Amino acid sequence: MSFLPQAIVDALLLGGIYTLMVIGLSVSLGITRVINFVHGEAIMLGAYAAYWGLTLLKIDPLLALPIVALLGAVIGFLVFKGLIAPVLDAPQENQILLTFGLGLVLQNIALILWTGNERSSNPPYAFSSFDFDTVSIPGGRLIAVCAAIIMVVALFIWLKYGEWGRASRALAENRDAAILMGINVPFLYAFTFGLASALAAATGVICSFIFAITPFMGFDMLVKGFAIIILGGLGSIVGSVAGAFLLAFAETTVAYYVPSGNGWAEAVAFVVMFITLIIRPRGIVGQVTGQ
Amino acid sequence: MYGRLAILAAAGFVQGTLIAHAQDTIKIGVALELSGRFVSFGSYCKDGVEFASELYGNTTVAGKRVEFIYRDLQSDAQTTVTAFTELLSTQGINYVIGPTASPIAAAAIGPWRQTKPIWLVPGASTTTMETEVGAEPTFFHTYPYAYHYHETLSAALRHYLGEGKRVAVVYVDDAYGRTHLPLVKEYFTKAGFEIVAEEVMRANSPDLNPVLSKIRSARPDILIGLVQSTDAVTLAKQVHTRNMKIPYLVGAASTQHREWQDAVGEAQEGWIGLGTYLPHLVNWPANPEYPKIFMSTSEWERLFEARFKREPNYDDIMCYTNAGQLLIALEKAGGDNKDKVAEELAKLDTMSPFGPTKFTKTRGGTRNQAFSSMLVFQRHQNKNILLYPLSVAKDATLYQAPR
Repeated sequence: MSFLPQAIVDALLLGGIYTLMVIGLSVSLGITRVINFVHGEAIMLGAYAAYWGLTLLKIDPLLALPIVALLGAVIGFLVFKGLIAPVLDAPQENQILLTFGLGLVLQNIALILWTGNERSSNPPYAFSSFDFDTVSIPGGRLIAVCAAIIMVVALFIWLKYGEWGRASRALAENRDAAILMGINVPFLYAFTFGLASALAAATGVICSFIFAITPFMGFDMLVKGFAIIILGGLGSIVGSVAGAFLLAFAETTVAYYVPSGNGWAEAVAFVVMFITLIIRPRGIVGQVTGQ
Repeated sequence: MYGRLAILAAAGFVQGTLIAHAQDTIKIGVALELSGRFVSFGSYCKDGVEFASELYGNTTVAGKRVEFIYRDLQSDAQTTVTAFTELLSTQGINYVIGPTASPIAAAAIGPWRQTKPIWLVPGASTTTMETEVGAEPTFFHTYPYAYHYHETLSAALRHYLGEGKRVAVVYVDDAYGRTHLPLVKEYFTKAGFEIVAEEVMRANSPDLNPVLSKIRSARPDILIGLVQSTDAVTLAKQVHTRNMKIPYLVGAASTQHREWQDAVGEAQEGWIGLGTYLPHLVNWPANPEYPKIFMSTSEWERLFEARFKREPNYDDIMCYTNAGQLLIALEKAGGDNKDKVAEELAKLDTMSPFGPTKFTKTRGGTRNQAFSSMLVFQRHQNKNILLYPLSVAKDATLYQAPR
């Protein structure tokens, strides 16, 4: 039996999920230059928001998504203003430690509030699938791909045509010039971080009906996300998307065609990352220019 | 000068108080997975131990205060080594309950060997425990080993399905999965089943579709998932979504857990599981010798539900019973004498809410094994249907999974 058609479908679906996982991370790194270790916890909190919305208020996760994303944006904005902005000019180690510590705090707050019991949202479409002879397309993952496409396209449109989007690109290219042009840099940094948090929270909503939700789910996603953005090119959204799909195809190929491949598939991310760092340190698309 | 003398006197007083306190206190370490991957096992076990401590009353044994010292192993091997070393070598504790998960218990073996305290392990089906420490007189295993699982499961499925059925296995790449896999193959082959596929998955794998595609191509009649925790949720949901058309689905570890059932929703229908305890199913009688701590099962369940506002699971009642056994053994031994306590614990043969507490030797070489009998059940319309042993499963029907 040929697995090729199913393998291609699985790789595309996994690529969509990986795109969701990294897009916010790429935005925050590309524009604010903050290596955001709290990104995984933003996904986790988005997942819990969707879960509790469904369980307590009977709100479908997809309907809750805009609200959760907006909440994520507001919280991300406030976190940046209150905690991260003061260390923006400090050594990068300080930023890493700060965001890492914040991530641990959020993880443990979630653990205290909701325990470590595994949960999952189960709207009807979570178990749907489209079956064609030898190929099966899970509905939940297809939704994830569609959401990824919408988010990436919307982000590109905003960056290219939106006033603040163009300002963000200017800021990413040259902060001093952006200040001289009258761009409110502190506000834009916080806004962008809020946007990244919104994307992460939205990712969490989607993940809530695909994966098991626990307070620890964010860290694995964060580690994978960093591997992808290193592969794609730090701070490049196009690179991150390319990296997501490249990694998804690599992992899926190994899982299908290498004996006991699923046991090795996760290691593929790190092998690919090591090779990229050695051969092409700036990633597939290239690194954002330094200040 | 007088100031220095006063400080010295105060320090001496404090130290003397601490020493006196230590001498008046029997410490019992409770080392559990209170966070991380196996938190659903460890946190329930902690509830069970705390409940035993509360019901025993003031927790005083042979005139000494009993203090339970809890440590969170974070479901992490390195943290386990550190915690055990601290409890055993630094604090000098002679009694430990836990952990529950196979890989975590295996990690504790090294530090345990330093002082070899009395070690009650209410979990850890991995036979690594049996091989490494089973013969030790202070090791007490109070949960079935992997071979108990598959001996019971294969017999149950053979009873309902006959011989010749095709079996596929998905196993997680850790101590749990790698221990259970050869035993599945051994016992199911012996029972007349054919193993047609075995696929490994890494813990926390986000995508099981490649595994499921390969499993599906083998066209099995039975799928056995040797997975736990979040992996069991991912497996059940993806199996259900993929319309695998495998009639019988077996979750060796998680099917009995309310968390798994709630997390997977409709996907739980038809899953077969094993356990040592299902609430409100078996009612062991009260123990007239220890009525305060070893009441009847139904009375224990009533008190537990009133206290914790939820249905108990096997970790609760098993750890409760282990704590009760240890407290009774301490009482019989007359105090904190490890060897005497081990002796009393080994020969303790009494009734508990969890069943008879007798420790016996296993075929694999564990000197002190209790509670190795298992129940096989199936999730059907959000209820547990008992399938095996036949003596308690009355006119049961084995249903096929809906998708």
